[in-house]
Amino acid sequence: MNETIYPDRARIDALEKVLGRTRFAADIPLPRITHAMTVPSRIVRGRLAAIDIGAARAVDGVLAVLTWRDFTNAQSAGYLMGGGFGFQSHQPMLSDRLVHRGEPIALVVAETLEIAIEAAALVDARYEEEPFAALLEDERAEILAPQAGHAMGDAQAMLASAAFRVDAEYLSPAQYQNPMEMIATVAEWRDGTLTIHEGTQNSSAVKFGVAAALGLDSARVRVKSAYLGGGFGQKNSLQGQTVLAARAAILLGRPVKLVMPRAQLYHTASFRPASRHRIQLGADADGRIVAASYEADMQNSRADTFRASFSEITARLYSIPNYSSTARLVRTDVQSPGYMRAPFEHPAAFAFESAVDELAYATGRDPLAFRLNNDAETDPVTGDPFSSRFLAECLRTGADRFGWSERNPAPGSMRADDGTMIGWGVAVGAYKAAMAPAIARLRVRADGTTLLSVSGHEMGQGIRTAIFAALTEGLEIDPARIEIVIGDPDAAPQHLTAGSWGTASSVPVVRRAVETMQARFDALRDGRSVHGSIHQMLALWRRPYIEVETRLQAPGQPDAVFDRLQRGLPAAGGPEYKPFVSFSYIAHFVEVRVEPTTRRIRVLRVVSIVDCGRVVSPRTAESQVRGGVVWGIGAALRETAEIDPRFGGVLNNDLAEYVLPVNADIGAIEVGFIDQPDPMLNEAGVKGLGEVAMVGVAAAIGNAIFHATGRRLRQLPMRIEHLI
Amino acid sequence: MQTFTYSRARSINELRAVQAATGDRILAGGTTLYDLMKLRIETPDRLVDVTGIAGLDEIISHPDELVFGALVTMSDAAAHPAVLQRAPVLAEALSKAASQQLRNMATLGGNLLQRTRCAYFRNGTEYPCNKRTPGSGCAALEGLDRGHALFGGSGSCIAVYPGDWAVALVALDAVVDVRGSRGTHTIDVASLHRLPGDTPHVETVLEPDEMILNIRVPVGRLAQASTYHKIRDRESYAFALVSAAVALELEEGFVRQARIALGGVATRPWRVPAAEAGLTGRRLDRATALEVGRMTFADARPGRHNGFKIALGAEAVADALMIAAQRSENR
Repeated sequence: MNETIYPDRARIDALEKVLGRTRFAADIPLPRITHAMTVPSRIVRGRLAAIDIGAARAVDGVLAVLTWRDFTNAQSAGYLMGGGFGFQSHQPMLSDRLVHRGEPIALVVAETLEIAIEAAALVDARYEEEPFAALLEDERAEILAPQAGHAMGDAQAMLASAAFRVDAEYLSPAQYQNPMEMIATVAEWRDGTLTIHEGTQNSSAVKFGVAAALGLDSARVRVKSAYLGGGFGQKNSLQGQTVLAARAAILLGRPVKLVMPRAQLYHTASFRPASRHRIQLGADADGRIVAASYEADMQNSRADTFRASFSEITARLYSIPNYSSTARLVRTDVQSPGYMRAPFEHPAAFAFESAVDELAYATGRDPLAFRLNNDAETDPVTGDPFSSRFLAECLRTGADRFGWSERNPAPGSMRADDGTMIGWGVAVGAYKAAMAPAIARLRVRADGTTLLSVSGHEMGQGIRTAIFAALTEGLEIDPARIEIVIGDPDAAPQHLTAGSWGTASSVPVVRRAVETMQARFDALRDGRSVHGSIHQMLALWRRPYIEVETRLQAPGQPDAVFDRLQRGLPAAGGPEYKPFVSFSYIAHFVEVRVEPTTRRIRVLRVVSIVDCGRVVSPRTAESQVRGGVVWGIGAALRETAEIDPRFGGVLNNDLAEYVLPVNADIGAIEVGFIDQPDPMLNEAGVKGLGEVAMVGVAAAIGNAIFHATGRRLRQLPMRIEHLI
Repeated sequence: MQTFTYSRARSINELRAVQAATGDRILAGGTTLYDLMKLRIETPDRLVDVTGIAGLDEIISHPDELVFGALVTMSDAAAHPAVLQRAPVLAEALSKAASQQLRNMATLGGNLLQRTRCAYFRNGTEYPCNKRTPGSGCAALEGLDRGHALFGGSGSCIAVYPGDWAVALVALDAVVDVRGSRGTHTIDVASLHRLPGDTPHVETVLEPDEMILNIRVPVGRLAQASTYHKIRDRESYAFALVSAAVALELEEGFVRQARIALGGVATRPWRVPAAEAGLTGRRLDRATALEVGRMTFADARPGRHNGFKIALGAEAVADALMIAAQRSENR
């Protein structure tokens, strides 16, 4: 089955989206809907000494102003990474305790959004402030004891005796997600049932989390997450606002809509924490990397423990026999940081792949040849085989397409006619190939329709299109009358869609459902010859429908994972599956142009070649890689948060000032796929794609800047002031 | 945003009457005022929309002058053939500002009065800001000042004037015709904005009831050999890290007259007469241009994070001079 080659196909929901017909959570029209607005805390840490809601309550059209006193029976739903359901353990408005700037201290509900906004501004609060730490380097930050990481061989001894050494520190700033669709909740309480419409990557966590927070029976909580306008890890769990909106809907008996303003999202939702990375590498006289040491510090909140795993990929990019890593978490007074596209892998690859480039130059070798010379054949961490690994092919294919052989290796040697400095850089990336347990329910009906319910959330990555491809590739059904229900725990148990396991979880289980359906149909056929689709034959045989249910988990996972799936808890497996290890890989080749006078850095072109196993939906896959490369360019050259340590919080909290790339910043992006199935991982041969796409882009750009200018930039974003 | 009363004026006389009666704030394109109202920095009770006033939405190209009605949109002016041809510095200053959507709404008169993007000014009353709350202090002085002024700052305020259009106008010695309770009068654009001094909340010399009617720009050889060179953190939709509005009159490779104005680095549009004088009479090549660029920043007073703009600005001015010189030759 895994030899299936999937044809190019338009995104199945593209037309609806282009026409503006797709309904996102905030678009759900409900009768008598009300509008809510949060009032953000103006301090970082302390106590809400007094709150005066009188003026807000008096505004005509205001229905309610909720404060922590309206939540005395509510509780935290717990932290996702600690057995709970929330992006952080701190649920705002449960008490007068304030732990990060911008957390809601009140919720205004009104007849219109304008009234809610006006009244929210009239809520008056008095605070008792406490000292705080806003930044990684703040003296009030608490540095925890190092977490043990990898320890293969004796890295320190081998570094000491290495012929060539690199020892450098790299910095990555806090970054914020800025999805086009802001986090939005529509909550409706009717006949003892709570319905939540929210664009979430984890509808089950919202379901069980809201139930836990408000003491409701989870069977009476429905969650609908049909579409997200971008989900990059930030929408991976229960948001604090969902509990607020739900409580308001229950109190008022009317639907409540709460769309968080973008400025507040910088403080009420998770972000990529600031981190610093000290990398030591050693190579022998033959250009073999003999040892690596990776020491990292990563920002955390006070309450939750978001563990760093920078070395998960860097320990495996090359065949490095002696490798040690540690990470220290640094507690600061912020909302809990979390997963943001390639959360650890992007900064890790920036640091490590910059250092590898530095080492290649130190040895006097071409950075491409140096990498190929150090490729790994088995997993250096476990000693187990890789289920598939085509990283060297990614490098070779990319080099050919890019024209790497024309490169003059000397930094500063390539110039355009007008004096513009040209730099060519390469870097690689990897990301774990994970799978989550999934259940698919497939019903093919005599009336010509098909209903498929399966675990998965459509964040715009194209999972519906991939599911559609898997469904129609093997079954004689009417493709125009297929309904795919995802993001709905009532239709099928929903697992968190994240970690690039979406396609690798949904598509194999759908393929299994297709095979089971075909078998059931064949059994029903009982040797008779058929002339027509399954629908037609069912009609002929007077069977209203056939329904099958199939389930699938990651290789080696016990059936107990389905219990976690049913309870809305994370249950993904990978990348270590005894007895093999699975990753996706990518190689990026970048050409930058640096203006000789003002030193503006421009990315002229990028060639990215990916090994993500079998490509199920070529068009959306290519689009995903482009998006990842764009994000990588932004992360490399643009994005940074302005945080004043005296005040905490993000000052540049809008799209005008938080600098993301615009179209004019993006040159040509050429995407290629190895498209070799990984049959060890799953029957579809699918690995993951969404996150690996951006891993290594920043390093490739930094390496290209070094080649153009001879200047090694070790801090993100790399900006004009670093070169002038 | 708080509730406000909105009305529309059909004529200047109607506007004058409304303002005399109820002191309404003038609303044109709304791209700044509504933004600041949403942030509760501006809290007017009454707004009078002037976009319906006839006769202020034209660009007239006279032999020695371009006249812009105050209600012409930025996008219309940026695309106007006479502006592109006769004063490219103006067209470029407009087309490199904001986004197309904003340029479609924003008017030329309103643009001149755009307020600073200083994050401490914009982010709420918990941040000391003398411009927002006089007497509360200035958080930027000891703070994140990458975007703050190297010229014209005071102990009360170092917020940058963010616009581009006014910088280009200042380079060309433009004037504005203003109407209000003091009658009609003309002001040099260079005198329109005040230095912050001890009163950074008072940003212009206009009275609250005064409205800019026209912007008049002398155009000749100088304006034709001009450019607006804007360096920013991304290729579009960003305020200037530093910008240079430059115009040149060359005679056989020698500079007869030069104009240099800076944006993004000063508390108001910033002409640099000393650098202009330093260039006059000299043969223009890149080395001279860079020398003059450095001269332009000789009096800069950098803060903690914006010192790089001295070197960057010198290069930007030099590049701008070379672009303008090219245009002089191509003429």
